[in-house]
Amino acid sequence: PDLNVVDQDIPLSKNLNFRKIHNYLIILKKSLLFILKLCFSLFFPRERRFQSRTKMALPFCDIPEDLQLRILSFLSPAEISSFACTSKRYASLCREDGKIWHVMCDRKWGKKTQIQKWGSGRITYKLLYKTLNGLDNLIGFWRLCGRANPPDSSPPLVFFEWGSSFVLGSRVLAISDDTYQVRKTPFLEMGISSEGRSENFLDLDGNGRSGDEIDDDWRSNLVPVDVNFMGNGHIMVEENRFSREEHKSPVAKGSSSDESEDATSPPSFVVSEMYTQLANKTTSPRSDRRRQRKKEKERQARIKWEPEHFIKVSDFSPTVTKPLQGLWKGFSEGRNMELYMVKYDEVGGIICKKVEDLSLSRHTSPVFWTRNHAFARCPFSAEEELILDGRIHITPLPVEVCEEVVSGILYMNSSYDLAGRVWLYENGTFGFGFLRDQFIVDLKRVAFEDGCLADVLEA
Amino acid sequence: FHFLSRSQSNSLTTTRVLYKEIHNSTAHYFFRRISSLKLTKMSKKIVLKTSDGESFEIDDSIALQSETIAHLIGDDSASTSNGFPLANVTSNVLSTVIEYCKKHASVASEEELKKWDAEFVKVDDSTIFDLILAANYLNISGLLDLTCQTVADKIAACKDADEIRATFDIENDFTPEEEEELRRENQWSFQ
Repeated sequence: PDLNVVDQDIPLSKNLNFRKIHNYLIILKKSLLFILKLCFSLFFPRERRFQSRTKMALPFCDIPEDLQLRILSFLSPAEISSFACTSKRYASLCREDGKIWHVMCDRKWGKKTQIQKWGSGRITYKLLYKTLNGLDNLIGFWRLCGRANPPDSSPPLVFFEWGSSFVLGSRVLAISDDTYQVRKTPFLEMGISSEGRSENFLDLDGNGRSGDEIDDDWRSNLVPVDVNFMGNGHIMVEENRFSREEHKSPVAKGSSSDESEDATSPPSFVVSEMYTQLANKTTSPRSDRRRQRKKEKERQARIKWEPEHFIKVSDFSPTVTKPLQGLWKGFSEGRNMELYMVKYDEVGGIICKKVEDLSLSRHTSPVFWTRNHAFARCPFSAEEELILDGRIHITPLPVEVCEEVVSGILYMNSSYDLAGRVWLYENGTFGFGFLRDQFIVDLKRVAFEDGCLADVLEA
Repeated sequence: FHFLSRSQSNSLTTTRVLYKEIHNSTAHYFFRRISSLKLTKMSKKIVLKTSDGESFEIDDSIALQSETIAHLIGDDSASTSNGFPLANVTSNVLSTVIEYCKKHASVASEEELKKWDAEFVKVDDSTIFDLILAANYLNISGLLDLTCQTVADKIAACKDADEIRATFDIENDFTPEEEEELRRENQWSFQ
């Protein structure tokens, strides 16, 4: 009966009913949609996550080529080789020397050297990458091992750094006895010719080049050498008497008088030169040839530079755990500034030797050594204070003595078998002294942490 | 202001004389100094408009990390009021980029920044590529290098070409013989 009443009430109640149903339906629909959206958000992200594991949402192929190359520039050659095998498109991309090898060279060495200048810009970037990779090992400090040449033509310490289109090894020399500054003169220059051969020159006079211009006169004073990498941290530098100077016609050694004067060169040199002269009959003006002949004679008259071996100084800077390690400079007993090298050995001892001595023989005695590298820290005993008090710091005269705060004391021995002390200062440097005298030798670092030379005298 | 208010009660000529005094007086000098200081202290806000119509307002010290925006500011200062339209950047990508720029504009140690960067790039792959494109468009070198390095690390983590193809959805259009030959050639070429 109730329903009948409702049914009879057609116009308003019907609408109302429909209205209610409509409202309920809307609410139902909204809640259903809401639940569906929840399900969507639960399910689909999971799917997408699963998708991204196997497929990039924006594939590598879709980004512009220069960005693709930028990404590839971070990879090593081995990784690029596997990438190049993925598809024809990338194989051709990785084949283009000017693109892929260029960005790889730029990424690794773009900031250190001018990569487009190497080999006068005429070598492939692929060869450049290989060359620079090999030369990268040279950067840093190398010390002479053994000595085969007179002291002024074989420096005990060589510092290799990047130049604009070459790697330059410079002698690190003390200047005099009144300053901690060092002098840096060019010693060995390593570059690459435009044909791709490695070109290394010794600059025995240490004059270096003026700017980037290659001067003919300066060039003739250079000694061409080969640098052989004999394994980790060991190179051998050997004079190369048989290399031809480029941009010039081969040596004119036609006359027998030239051959007889040159007693130091072995017969094979004469034969090979004759062959090269016969094979490459280039037309050069007579005066030019005469000048070259004279220079060749001068060059051969010079005494041969014996092969030298250099060993890399692997740790040239102190660390937190090894505060004494590295290359140091200081004045001992008021003479010229000396360069010292302090090494920590495997059994926990420390040895300090002069860099000069390292090249002379294995059996020179160290400056000081100790078996135990643990420092005694503050507060120090009264006897230690007594030992430290009244000591005279050996410094060059213009430099004022500033008393550094001692943060640690180490007991050490010297070759005279008398004890001594190493005083570690708060600023990171240290000084040492023996009980037999009243001096302290204060040492400063030769190089900063980043590998740059400290206190270089500007030329 | 004190001088000026006083001068208002007097005649015009006196005002002029007083005004001249103000010019020469140190009080005016200080007033000018303070007012110029106020202008410089107020950092300029820059409005960026994304491709989907949203606007972002950021400090100019943060916005200048993008060389594109720096050039736009330099060239046309009149558009600062309307905001710079960035046609290729959507709003969620731009908010991520702004997050990066804010962190790198703040004072933080290098180690802290490196750690933050490592966490920052732990996003899904589509975001990384969007970031690469945005950083390239906006010319933000730090972000571009960071994101490219991340993708390069993903390539380096793959053992061989097959895995790279799977990760990056690259189609293999070689025959097995071609592939073998190419693999040998590349191994020799890239040793």
